[in-house]
Amino acid sequence: MRVLLIEDEQRLADNIVAALREAGLAVDHGIDGEEGSHLAEQGIYDVVVLDLMLPGKSGQHVLRDLRRKKLHTPVLILTAQEGKESVINLLNAGADDYLSKPFDLGELLARIKALIRRAKGVSTPVIAVSDLELDTVRQTVRRHGQFLDLSPTEYRILEYLIHRPRAVVSQQELLEHLYDFDWEHHSNVIEAHISNLRRKLNRAGTEPLIETLRHRGYRLREDGAAAL
Amino acid sequence: MTRSISITRRLIVTVLVLELLSAIALIGAITVRERHVQLKAFDASLLATAESLMGAVQDAEDEGDTVMLDMRGVQVAKNAIYRVEDERGRVLGSMGDAPSWERPSSPSPLFRNVDVRGRAYRFVVLARLRIVDPGKSNGGVGHSITIVYGTPLSHMWHEVLEATRFFAIATAILLGLTAAVMAWWVRKGLSPVYELAREAERVSSSDWHFNTPLKAKETVELRPLADALEATLARLQRSFEQQRQFTSDAAHELKTDVAIVKSSLQLLSMRKRSVEEYSQGLALSLDDFTRLEMAVQKMLTLARLETPIQRDGSGGTVLYCSLRDVIEDAVNQTNRMAELKAIVVNVEVTADARVPIDSHDALLLCSNILLNALRHSPPESTVRITLTTDEDTARLTVQDQGEGISEEDRERVFEPFYRADPSRSRKSGSSGLGLSICKAICERAGGSIQIANGPEGGALVIVNLPAELILSRSTFSASLKEQ
Repeated sequence: MRVLLIEDEQRLADNIVAALREAGLAVDHGIDGEEGSHLAEQGIYDVVVLDLMLPGKSGQHVLRDLRRKKLHTPVLILTAQEGKESVINLLNAGADDYLSKPFDLGELLARIKALIRRAKGVSTPVIAVSDLELDTVRQTVRRHGQFLDLSPTEYRILEYLIHRPRAVVSQQELLEHLYDFDWEHHSNVIEAHISNLRRKLNRAGTEPLIETLRHRGYRLREDGAAAL
Repeated sequence: MTRSISITRRLIVTVLVLELLSAIALIGAITVRERHVQLKAFDASLLATAESLMGAVQDAEDEGDTVMLDMRGVQVAKNAIYRVEDERGRVLGSMGDAPSWERPSSPSPLFRNVDVRGRAYRFVVLARLRIVDPGKSNGGVGHSITIVYGTPLSHMWHEVLEATRFFAIATAILLGLTAAVMAWWVRKGLSPVYELAREAERVSSSDWHFNTPLKAKETVELRPLADALEATLARLQRSFEQQRQFTSDAAHELKTDVAIVKSSLQLLSMRKRSVEEYSQGLALSLDDFTRLEMAVQKMLTLARLETPIQRDGSGGTVLYCSLRDVIEDAVNQTNRMAELKAIVVNVEVTADARVPIDSHDALLLCSNILLNALRHSPPESTVRITLTTDEDTARLTVQDQGEGISEEDRERVFEPFYRADPSRSRKSGSSGLGLSICKAICERAGGSIQIANGPEGGALVIVNLPAELILSRSTFSASLKEQ
């Protein structure tokens, strides 16, 4: 999952970025309103964390322009401003959540994850597809009750796929949502990770959970296989 | 206890007292005149009765020339006293105890007031020659008749009193009516005052809207009050809003700094880390914390500087310092930053001046201005500081070679937390309070600070301070070049 943080206070941004990356998220940082707005409008983020008092372009305007472009990325507002009125206005303008400074880093993480889940139509942190179970809080994966040992990237690929069961996810999409701009990435990296992941998920006597559709991408099968 | 004074009551009481006094004077005058009129009428009636008594003296129709009193056709008042005598002292007729007086020599009537048995009477004494039987051949016989006739005065006094009472009652009714009308009228006349008070009462810290009622505006006496109220409220509102803005900005600033410290520590405790990571994280957190501390310190400094000096002695004495020394210190203090950007700081001080600022604040003023200039200077440029003195003012200027200042920002840069270039924001390390603090220091000392664009571009800060010239030491001029 990929998060965009738009925050002008460098030290605070450093801390948030570090924390989100430690939690297994890909993070990009926009230092002011203009840059942030430009990044957000690429439509490649699973959630946007937006500060209100921004140089260049205010948070309200970034949000307004994002919604005008018909982008439905969940937006979490960070602000040090007082007053319920502004909260109401922001929510009405299309914000999805709100956290006031100084906030708890753990709470910010939890809210970001909840927003990602909700946007993808999932309500609990533990997602199950057939006999596969993924816990987004503990970042653990079980198949048929057995814990699987996945690398961070493999986990992230599986997490992304399990949020979109039965949908075809292209390599490009995976690249966009799993890596931030700070990462050196190539599409064959994905291929390697996918093949490792498929191997680890494999159970004797069942069809592979992850299908490869040539030139189109990958798909997580929801039905069938486990029933055999 | 506070005395309460009612203008309405005062007005009404004043008018009523004046009315009452004139009424009393009027009644007095009326009484005197009434008494006079009544007395005249009384005397006339006394005299008329006395005359008719005189007419009742008739020939006795006997041998001698005696006369008698024929009371037929003579009306005598109730309680009247009279005595009719002839020249020989013979009483022709009487009623009651008439006092006797010497027979007056003139024929004109005499009036006398006498108490008879405890009652006040007024008498007329009439002495005339009465010719009886003037138709007779001898031309009648003359008799010198003396008539004393009196009636009680109480009747006349009664009349006077009646008249007085009538006027008194009429006056009382009039006074009552006037009081009622006055009360209503004065209250109505004062209604703009109440309206103004109601309007003023409505004003609160959340709603400053003050609309002078039209009536109050039209009332000549109220206009100064209404104008003063309007002006005061506008002033209060302005300063209140400035305070509110400052509080909100300060809260925003502090919350951001606290958020940084908190997130630094929370990030560190997210999982177990190596000793190296911990010590690195702690060092960063300490930096963050120092920034928070400095922000608080600056806010407190500004708050202290904006508290007016107590002029009534208790505030202590005003401290002075030498501006030249302070400039030297400020240049030394900012040395490192100038070095980093390879900026040359030129100091041209032609004379020294004593300014009424304590040395700590003066250093704060100079170093803030200098830091601001360094911050806005491109690398390898020059910052020029000059100090010139006049008879009673010192003029400090700091000129940089930066991008200058826009017309719009010239006033606003002195507002707390205002940052002229938003993209710099907090990254440049400015708290947004430096120039506000400078302004507060200057204004506290009775001076001023302005920012403008220099003749060759770049921002020019001009500080004017009241000063005493110090004639000492030779002219000091220094140029510090740092690499």
